[in-house]
Amino acid sequence: MRDLVVLGGSSHPQLTRTICRNLTIEQGVVTSTKFSNGETSIEVQDSVREKDVFIVQSGCGDVNDNFIELLIMIAACKTASARRVTAVLPLFPYSRQPDVPHAASLTGAPSLATKKDHYTFDSAPGTPRPLSRNDTLTGIASENDSYPNAPPTLSLNTGASNGLGLLGKATINNMRPTAIERSQSANRIFTPRSIVTNSASTNIPTVDAYGKTESGYKQWIAQNGTLIANLLMTAGADRLITMDLHDPQFQGFFNIPVDNLYSRPLLKHYILDYIPNYQECVIVSPDSGGAKRAIAVADSLGCSFALIHKERRAKVAKAPPSTNATSTPMTTNPNAILSSSVAGFNSANPSMIATTMLVGDVKDKVCVLIDDLVDTSYTITRAAKLLKDQGATYVYALVTHGVFSGDAINRVNKSAIDKVITTNSVPQIERMRLLGSDKFEVLDVSRILAESIRRIHNGESVSMLFDHGW
Amino acid sequence: MSTNSIKLIASDVHRGLAELVAKRLGLRLTPSELKRDSTGEVQFSIAESVRDEDIFIICQIGSGVVNDRVIELLIMINACKTASARRIAVILPNFPYARQDRKDKSRAPITAKLMADMLTTAGCNHVITMDLHASQIQGFFDVPVDNLYAEPSVVRYIKEKINYKDAIIISPDAGGAKRAAGLADRLDLNFALIHKERARANEVSRMVLVGDVTDKICVIVDDMADTCGTLAKAAEVLLDHGAKEVIAIVTHGILSGNAINNINNSKLTKVVCTNTVPFEEKLKLCPKLDTIDVSAVLAESIRRLHNGESISYLFKNAPL
Repeated sequence: MRDLVVLGGSSHPQLTRTICRNLTIEQGVVTSTKFSNGETSIEVQDSVREKDVFIVQSGCGDVNDNFIELLIMIAACKTASARRVTAVLPLFPYSRQPDVPHAASLTGAPSLATKKDHYTFDSAPGTPRPLSRNDTLTGIASENDSYPNAPPTLSLNTGASNGLGLLGKATINNMRPTAIERSQSANRIFTPRSIVTNSASTNIPTVDAYGKTESGYKQWIAQNGTLIANLLMTAGADRLITMDLHDPQFQGFFNIPVDNLYSRPLLKHYILDYIPNYQECVIVSPDSGGAKRAIAVADSLGCSFALIHKERRAKVAKAPPSTNATSTPMTTNPNAILSSSVAGFNSANPSMIATTMLVGDVKDKVCVLIDDLVDTSYTITRAAKLLKDQGATYVYALVTHGVFSGDAINRVNKSAIDKVITTNSVPQIERMRLLGSDKFEVLDVSRILAESIRRIHNGESVSMLFDHGW
Repeated sequence: MSTNSIKLIASDVHRGLAELVAKRLGLRLTPSELKRDSTGEVQFSIAESVRDEDIFIICQIGSGVVNDRVIELLIMINACKTASARRIAVILPNFPYARQDRKDKSRAPITAKLMADMLTTAGCNHVITMDLHASQIQGFFDVPVDNLYAEPSVVRYIKEKINYKDAIIISPDAGGAKRAAGLADRLDLNFALIHKERARANEVSRMVLVGDVTDKICVIVDDMADTCGTLAKAAEVLLDHGAKEVIAIVTHGILSGNAINNINNSKLTKVVCTNTVPFEEKLKLCPKLDTIDVSAVLAESIRRLHNGESISYLFKNAPL
């Protein structure tokens, strides 16, 4: 293949090597060293003038360091007159964007866990939602509580009508206190009581479950997606290849072509080839956000499908009244639980309302959990436990990006998951050693990536890879 | 239009300089939170509204995990931008990757330019820096860059702490000759130059002294001290040529690698750095280190920038 150069960053050298082997080309030589002050130094040893350069760097390990290294490599190739520079990011860094800051003190869980929780619970824009949700919540609650709030509402109405009945100055004088009274009573009824936290970060105002401070200021997390996209474009990337983007909308952040490859064919082949009686198994999505992904697999295989719906975990306050105010609608409203076909209701910790529920039947079935990314593994291990509690016989977990940060591998090892299947979009050798080959399997994505590189280089269509894999 | 005010934001690591600047301005640092999750990705949140405010992000980047600091800074800038800040000025006293400012060999990146592009892409409207390794880096930016000088502070230090009538200013390399000559002029002192032949980065080979240093207090002036190999070697050369004692004054004391050992084992009497780079913990390890506080200069530049006053006064004078 003429004029094709594949360079590898330091994040995942094995993947680069196998991609090059699949393309039957020599890997381009790059020396990446650190100056003694920690700055990255890149030297591209081979000429890249008028070449089609592909740089492979996964968003794993030391994420920020690897990302800067990639940017410097792109810039180096650009200044060295490369014709086109394509960044190949099997795992895209900063692809998950939580829209509500996680408050570790709310759930009492370690901060490693809460981030993922917040993401998967709530992927819709957060701003208008909390209040309306609480409105309906308290409305239902007040009906159920045999009208404890009715008297103030009544007096408020009469006060308002009296005020309207009066004339001139008297109206103004009367209206003002009623307005205040209305807002006060409205506060009493509608405002979610802020939870007292024992946050260690002292200078940060306490934040409730929806990211609001006591003053009403909505605290938010910086959304890094656009920034990362802009940085890649600024560095000079002309094209991007990635795999199973967490949000497909991410492609819209770029002004350059982004090829989002799918590992779905790969996972499908695994199910077809290695799961006995796969027609009988149940494809399970561990959260509602991944339902579409799992349904696509289930449909193409003709399997049945189940969904685990995970409500936001909220701490049960000591006093009974505030339970109504802080807990999620699903738990306070019995009708909702009855109306949805709930097969299971799991509360792992007595101090939490862990409203994880399973929709679908898994009794005496082999379950296949499908997710795009496992980081802390809280979601997937909790899902596995729920499935086993509901009578599942065997639980597979098929995951595209097995990041397994922190103590995730230990958690998976101790969990109800019987087998984890992931891809080598991030290095998995160490995990393989820890979990052993009967509990852990790694699928190779280098062939998909290599084929997409070949097709892009030759100007052929890539879309064929989406459905059929390689 | 609402009145906008200065908001100072600092990262959670190395807040020392930011706190000094805030104290100097009589402000508090805006509460913000930087979280690193288990994968190493960074989340940043500001606990106050910054809408239509004048943001100054103070970022000290020293040695060690430079790239993490850079990404954190970019995320902080972008957070302010998306939070509708009126202006985002970054105070980056020690500009990262300033030494990779040219294509010195085939296919080498111009990382300083990349840094400049990244800062502006993230949404930075103004950069305040100090003693840029090459002032041409200002041209890499599309936004205004104020390159402050540590020189006035250094002049004051020399006048107050050193018997400067017997002193001579030394430039440790040809590139720094201009800086040293400028300082010598300000103090009305003589000036000498050490010419070095560098084989590889962070390594020093042969040194030649140009000028007479006999019985003088030699003050080596440079913009950056990394491993301090150059300084130690220069001190030896100067003492061999009859110097009385050797003091080094550098703006950015990065002091990476085995710099502390190099200084402790060298014949340098003192190594003075400004606090543009955090080195509090190194101060404890090395009795020869001393600090020049430049927070007043930075604070004054922030005040002047916010009020739309001229900053060039600070090029010649250091606020007390």
